[in-house]
Amino acid sequence: MFRIIRTPKQIRAHLLFIAPLFEQANQTRHHVTRSAMNAYHQGIQSIVFDHYGTGDSQGELIDASLSLWQQDILKQLLELKKHSNQAVYLSLPLSAVLLLSNEIVQQLDGVMLLQPNFKGKRFIQQFKRLALAANLTQSHNAKEAVTVAKPIVEIAGYLITPHLLDELAGQSLTKLADFTLDSYWFEWLGGAEVLSLGRAKQQEEFARKNDKLWVTNIDDVKFWQATELQVASTFLTQERVAFSQIVTYKSASNKALNAELQQAFNPKVAHELKR
Amino acid sequence: MTSVQNSPQLNQPKNQKAARQITKQLITLLRGIIPNYEDGFWHADTALFGAIAEFDSMALVTLMGEIEDSFDISFDDDDISAENFSSVTTLTELVLERS
Repeated sequence: MFRIIRTPKQIRAHLLFIAPLFEQANQTRHHVTRSAMNAYHQGIQSIVFDHYGTGDSQGELIDASLSLWQQDILKQLLELKKHSNQAVYLSLPLSAVLLLSNEIVQQLDGVMLLQPNFKGKRFIQQFKRLALAANLTQSHNAKEAVTVAKPIVEIAGYLITPHLLDELAGQSLTKLADFTLDSYWFEWLGGAEVLSLGRAKQQEEFARKNDKLWVTNIDDVKFWQATELQVASTFLTQERVAFSQIVTYKSASNKALNAELQQAFNPKVAHELKR
Repeated sequence: MTSVQNSPQLNQPKNQKAARQITKQLITLLRGIIPNYEDGFWHADTALFGAIAEFDSMALVTLMGEIEDSFDISFDDDDISAENFSSVTTLTELVLERS
């Protein structure tokens, strides 16, 4: 497995970056690197890795499965827990949350959620739409064309088994048992925008499962969508605030921690979600 | 269904107002996805599919998802057509139909 581990002199927490799926991994890579370096500078060991069959890791995507990816995450968490008693967090952007399982959640102290999409069915629907859209642009870019040769599906250049798509489509928050994790939720929402019904429902559902949720709205570019490289500075600043909370987690009393978090992370939203 | 004048839906004053609001919101979404154009580039008649190099399959699908979230509507896969995504206006009409 290809991993980049940044280890500070004194480790105050661990942060494992879970790559989102398919094209989203490329679209978030630049920000993940920035986040990992920021975490490192705040005393957090950061681990960035590629899932089996993706990026620079071994294997082929057509041999990958959801359970294989989940086992890889679990192994890394157990390894961290074996050698450290510091808090262990996951960074989960976008579709990366579809890789969560109860076994993984049990090993964590917290999660950082970046515009998470817990709806596997919707994610796969969007992914399959790429193939349909590619048919429109076929004459412009032949490489994007979809070809179906069962049991392998090719979408936007990715060779995948229908089984993997089905597994991912079956993922949702409802499959997770209730848990108690420090959860920092970064929601991209412009100052004048209203949270869409679908996004609000996901936040509410998460809050029902976990009563330690802090939400902050990010009024900045959705860097993963842009057709050119964009940096969401507001997000990186807010994330650094969260990192500072993580490293003080062990020393701060819960009361003091909650007070600080509510100041930094939009107390109104946090309060409403907790009800 | 490529011009405002020819569309029965958009001929009604109420729909015209709604269409203007939808167009404005669509342009905000498009600017987020394709940020490398001046603000003045985007308007109701801006051609999209086949006219802007950056408007590829990825941008199209991203835009669909953003529209569904923003307007709380659902598209059919059949909606993915060159006609529907030919311009901001045709897209406005599609959103109106699905709203």
